[in-house]
Amino acid sequence: MRIEKCYFCSGPVYPGHGVMFVRNDCKTFRFCKSKCHKNFKKKRNPRKARWAKAFRKASGKELTVDNSLEFEKRRNIPVKYNRQLWDKTVEAMKRVEEIKRKRQARFIMNRLKKGKELEKEEVISDVKRNIHLIKAPHAGKAKLLEDKMVQKLQEDVDMVDDDN
Amino acid sequence: MGKSKQVGNHKNDKRKNIAKTWKTKRRTKDLDQIHADMKPEVAAKLLHQEVDYDVTGCAQNYCLHCARYFVDMKSLKDHFKTKVHKKRLKQLREEPYTQAEAERAAGMGSYIPPKVVVVQTQPIEEDMN
Repeated sequence: MRIEKCYFCSGPVYPGHGVMFVRNDCKTFRFCKSKCHKNFKKKRNPRKARWAKAFRKASGKELTVDNSLEFEKRRNIPVKYNRQLWDKTVEAMKRVEEIKRKRQARFIMNRLKKGKELEKEEVISDVKRNIHLIKAPHAGKAKLLEDKMVQKLQEDVDMVDDDN
Repeated sequence: MGKSKQVGNHKNDKRKNIAKTWKTKRRTKDLDQIHADMKPEVAAKLLHQEVDYDVTGCAQNYCLHCARYFVDMKSLKDHFKTKVHKKRLKQLREEPYTQAEAERAAGMGSYIPPKVVVVQTQPIEEDMN
């Protein structure tokens, strides 16, 4: 007896649960819930279904390559019961799970960092592009013109003074 | 990334009873079965079948990728130009999904992304007789 994995969503299929479909070429497909079974019947691709684990892995949403993922495997060799080994394995499983969780969480946090950076860049470029909404293009121009006029008049007065 | 969303099957005039098409009774070949069919020795067998009067077109005009029989050469050629066929070829360009991949996605070993497979429409063989 073993906990199988669902063909569609990769979720666990416990003994006595789910449905198994046997195709007429003897290939078996296990499904954890009717949702997965229905989607299979509709010939949907798990790599395209956003909620399936295969999609998340294929599109880089989750940690795909890591040593912590190499422990859980389909092992077809039976191991003779040994209490010490059993205890050790259970301990190891807990530790591996802890490390795996940490690494997966870190991967996701790193993935999300990029979005933050892009958002910041976007905001900065937005402000640069639409600066005229904050500061009108002619704001302060009148004052500038007045200053120029005064300067020019002053110069003219000076020139007249020089001529005399 | 855009999602491909097909809407409005239930009210479609062309597809009357869509639930019936999903019954195992009417099950059509899966993509992985077609990938198996595409192996040269199997493909040769499927493309040169014996005359069978029970099958459409006496099983002489078969589209390997769509797993469909046609009445004559002309309709087969016309089919190669259709959207259905081109769409199928595109779907077949990816390695088929397997239970092993489902398990790798579940965290049993590292996930290996699917490879790209070159798929082309079968060459048309003209009968000179």
